[in-house]
Amino acid sequence: MNGIGPYLRTHRETLKQQDRRYSLRQVAARVGIEPAYLSKIEREEMPPPGEQTLKKLARDLELDADLLLAMAGKISTDLQAIICKRPQLFAQLLRQLKDAPDHALLRVVREITDGDW
Amino acid sequence: MFTLEHNFLKVRFPHVHPSANATISFQRTLRIPDDNREYPLPAGMDRFDLRHIEDYTDRIPDSWARRGGVLLPMYQAEAMWINFNSEYPMAIKIAAGKINAVTGTFWQNELSDTQQDYVVIPSQPWIDGFSTAEEQVRQFVASRLGDGQSAEEQVTGESEFGGLQLIVYPLKAELYEIEQAQRAKQTRLRKRDDFDYLDIPAFARRSSPEPMGLGLGGKIHQSLYKDKRGIEAWDDSHYARCFIHLINSQDWKTVTGEPLPRKPIKPEQYQQAGLPWFDYYDEGKLALPGGTILSRLKSFAEFRKKTDKPDKSIQINHITQLGNQTRVSDGEF
Repeated sequence: MNGIGPYLRTHRETLKQQDRRYSLRQVAARVGIEPAYLSKIEREEMPPPGEQTLKKLARDLELDADLLLAMAGKISTDLQAIICKRPQLFAQLLRQLKDAPDHALLRVVREITDGDW
Repeated sequence: MFTLEHNFLKVRFPHVHPSANATISFQRTLRIPDDNREYPLPAGMDRFDLRHIEDYTDRIPDSWARRGGVLLPMYQAEAMWINFNSEYPMAIKIAAGKINAVTGTFWQNELSDTQQDYVVIPSQPWIDGFSTAEEQVRQFVASRLGDGQSAEEQVTGESEFGGLQLIVYPLKAELYEIEQAQRAKQTRLRKRDDFDYLDIPAFARRSSPEPMGLGLGGKIHQSLYKDKRGIEAWDDSHYARCFIHLINSQDWKTVTGEPLPRKPIKPEQYQQAGLPWFDYYDEGKLALPGGTILSRLKSFAEFRKKTDKPDKSIQINHITQLGNQTRVSDGEF
């Protein structure tokens, strides 16, 4: 997988082909950062921004926030809080599931029930 | 399988194909005037909240719990549109009170091609209402079950189900692979992609949450597209269903303990905030003809008393033509 900078840039440029609102300047304005800063992030001249900015970028560019955070080497604060509440249990769970295939992981994800209707 | 993530419904078919997943969200929007004029597509304000229903079984009727699914709060006369996001093609049936939003027929799990009763994503990025004519829908607008105004009550004479129902079928994996190979040749990445109350008499709050249905609001210019692949393309051995129970937003705190959802946007707020209107048209797609039983149902305006004030029309000055861009507004209002 490419670094987060090129990933953001490629995705934004793809969107910009259809919609000029995805220019560097306009995306930066909506996210609340300077265009020059966003440009440096995309070119990996600066380290990835903080969690809140990454989440805003994810929302603006319709990307998965957890994926962006992971690419930036971060874990979102809500996940940290979940793990810190029951650290031993979650550490054990994650270690046990680390090599499980995706379809097996999805079995432990809470499914929306489908009943009698 | 359906899962719930940050108020998005995620549907995945990992046994069909690793890429077979889609995201569905329910967007708060302006209730457009029911004044017999046809309006462009209104923007999405934000997503409606969604919660697992079994977390609240002590505060909801048993019959709801047996249906499974999720809870979604809507204010009386609040409007919504449904947003689909997927790279992997899927056929989706949408019903309100188990009345199909495309054909007006009663719910059945199977897809029908005698009269196409589903939409295909990602070519159908949104659905804003009940199909009432070619290139026209009547907006999804919440009404109290029991008032007789929902599509379900008008078609069946009963108010048994309410809510929204979805069933999703993925494209057969082998067809997806063929289409992907063809697309790779073209090397073109295709990125898909609050209240003007009706004058409805005040009602007493009840101890159990009030079920809501969806009725027919104002006219919106929107095409529902014909399935270009044909019914055989869909993998009928795999499907996922979800029942979305609509409850009156006024009951949201009682049921979930969470704050009341914010009030729907009013037309004047929408205009003052400069929120956009949209039109979406794809020359490459054929629109379904419409003209089903749904076009004979009454819209909310027809239930008003003669003494009630009619909806005030909205002057549209500019319409943004959409290709594959987002329709969701992050604007404050």
